Amino acid sequence: MDFSFSADQQLLKNSARAFLDEHVKPAHVRALWDDPRGESDTLWKEMAQLGWLGLALPEDAGGSALGLVETAILQEELGRAACPSPYLPTVLAAMAIDRFGTAAQKSRWLPAVAGGGARATVALMERELDWDARSIQTRADESGGKVVLTGVKQFVPWAHVADVILVPAAAGAAPAVFAVEPSAPGVSVTPLTSMDPGLRLSTVTLDGATVPAEARLPSSGALEFLLQRGAVGAAAEMLGAARRCLDMAVDYAKVREQFGQPIGSFQAIRHKCADMLLDVENSFSAVYYAAWALANDAEDGPLAASVAKAYVSDASRKVCGDAIQVHGGIGFTWEYDLHLYFKRAKALEPLYGDADHHRELIVRRVAR
Amino acid sequence: MDLNLSPEDRAFRERTRTWLEANVPRTELKTLEERRAWHRRMFDAGYVGLGWPKEYGGQGASPMKMAIVADEMARANAPAPINGLGIGFIGPTIIIHGTDAQKQRYLKKILSAEEIWCQLYSEPNSGSDLASLRTRAEDRGDHFLVNGQKIWTSGGHISDWGILLARTDPHVAKHKGISCFLLNMRQPGVEVRPLKQITGSAEFNEVFMTNARVEKSDLIGRLGQGWEIAQTTLGFERGGNSIARVTRYASAFDRLVEAAKKLKRGGKPLLEDPVVRAKLGRVYAEMEVQRYAALRVLSMLQKGDSPGAASSITKLSYSEFEKRYYELCLEILGPYGQVTDGGLEESSLDVDSSSGVRSSWAYAFLWARAGTIYSGSSEIQKNVIGERVLGLPKEIRADRVKA
Repeated sequence: MDFSFSADQQLLKNSARAFLDEHVKPAHVRALWDDPRGESDTLWKEMAQLGWLGLALPEDAGGSALGLVETAILQEELGRAACPSPYLPTVLAAMAIDRFGTAAQKSRWLPAVAGGGARATVALMERELDWDARSIQTRADESGGKVVLTGVKQFVPWAHVADVILVPAAAGAAPAVFAVEPSAPGVSVTPLTSMDPGLRLSTVTLDGATVPAEARLPSSGALEFLLQRGAVGAAAEMLGAARRCLDMAVDYAKVREQFGQPIGSFQAIRHKCADMLLDVENSFSAVYYAAWALANDAEDGPLAASVAKAYVSDASRKVCGDAIQVHGGIGFTWEYDLHLYFKRAKALEPLYGDADHHRELIVRRVAR
Repeated sequence: MDLNLSPEDRAFRERTRTWLEANVPRTELKTLEERRAWHRRMFDAGYVGLGWPKEYGGQGASPMKMAIVADEMARANAPAPINGLGIGFIGPTIIIHGTDAQKQRYLKKILSAEEIWCQLYSEPNSGSDLASLRTRAEDRGDHFLVNGQKIWTSGGHISDWGILLARTDPHVAKHKGISCFLLNMRQPGVEVRPLKQITGSAEFNEVFMTNARVEKSDLIGRLGQGWEIAQTTLGFERGGNSIARVTRYASAFDRLVEAAKKLKRGGKPLLEDPVVRAKLGRVYAEMEVQRYAALRVLSMLQKGDSPGAASSITKLSYSEFEKRYYELCLEILGPYGQVTDGGLEESSLDVDSSSGVRSSWAYAFLWARAGTIYSGSSEIQKNVIGERVLGLPKEIRADRVKA
């Protein structure tokens, strides 16, 4: 048994850290906050060249056939940089297409994603705050060899830049997932303005949207897959944001003086920082256990994914908030960078299954 | 990263489980002799002193194998070996710091539980500030004379020997004037009084030493090296049984779920109450995270790395969790969780204990208060984390200013 990163995984982490420290500084993040599109095509192409976009995709699609642990490593680093990027939903959708899609869907999307030519996303929410598959209101009706989709998907991350959106819809007895191109007739994407301008959300309206029957992902299980892997990806990103906030708080507590001493020498501050580290370390254990368990089809993989999302949601909110508290007034200013990470952690909380939903999933699994 | 057990470790787990199924006592061990016999049985089967080097009668086993045995014992609800402190860290301390003669004299009898050991560290006025301890050991030429009082001595009433910290030089800085000794508990100058705790039981004692005698040959290490030696000892105390601990939490969780199926509110089982479900989900997530964190530490130990000061994170994490955990159990169970006798069988904690020991939610709830105090309180752990892990500046302390 070995819980530590392999040499290759450590190398990936180090190189991601170095790249993001140089190319996604807080000033870059702020510039993208003000950008109407909200993300950078140059950065996306660079990520493709670094092999990040195809990390978990098969080699024949231009990927490196690595697993969820490697993806989580990058997601943690992206969270640490509060990087505005559709990385998470794109990689998530591509992994689902790889696992559940047809040969045609794979050849259409996977090389394009790995090469940086396409972005993707997943539409997991509707108007009701309900994550259960049976609550899906969007309908898929077959009509003359086509599928007609009707419904409204809410809070879809990065839909305004996506080339394909995975849309779950009620199709007969069970929900199915469809790969929908926003250019299809009847699809409209309306961007929303939200608290974290580094994570753009849109409403996707399917007003009799007509897609070919082949848009359906043929194997079942895609919805659970998206929720589980999305939960771990989001948790990894929240972990990164929390670690950044902890680092900033500790650095600040070492130099900020009040009453003639660095505030970090006061137990009130030091103990808060120790609690923050505890939350961050436990979050790390939760994220990478879940990533490993899902990647290796361990029996408790789905449970671990819910544990990670439920735990890290609470822990990262607390750590990022406490970092503001340690900083005092400066942490409340727009100019200071803490809120970049604070907002990213918070923005991911209600996505990919909120903590309440994942806690309910846990109870369903362990208390029958 | 690979979290699978090796085939060898899986086989070892199987063997351990089979042995425990065949050997765990079916009735409560009431007398000291019964408990000693159980320790002997485990020792003869090779399950005691696993981590000790082979040359001292141990198994030289990996941290993983030790964790497996602890975990399987938790699963089988097996009674702990009686000489836990002796095996867990007093023996290892003698192995690291003791003379050859000390090793010859003491180690074998620790392993076999022929002699039972306790730890004489804390004092009434020296809790978190252990280095301020006042028990004195005076050099009387051919022996040391010990006077003072110790408290929180676990197993003191059944112990033959104790590992003792006492002040040998009051004129140097407080950490430098402490020495470490092996004290014979069976002598007229040593009086042991049980200390009844909030649980109603008395696992701990007070120990009064009045002109107690320690042989010159029973000094461990050098004079004045006691504090340094105590750090090794406290290091052994942290992080060892984390996986087994989570296994015990998990079996309590199963009991809680069973109770929540049978107890009702508004005509429906508690388990169907959304508020109860939310609480269960939250506590289960926290418990699983304790398990993942324990695996992470185990993986470190397995590679020969020491978690060092980071083991304070483990201790802080599980002890604070344990309090929240049993608070939540009692919250869900209401008065059923507080009844220790005469309540409903289905709401009690441990009805099918193979050892016949009936535990109660109330006992677990009360006992959880100890975890954040013993072996370095949560506040001390946070100081350690702040200073040694995060590198935050030390606080200005009155005793440092004076020195």
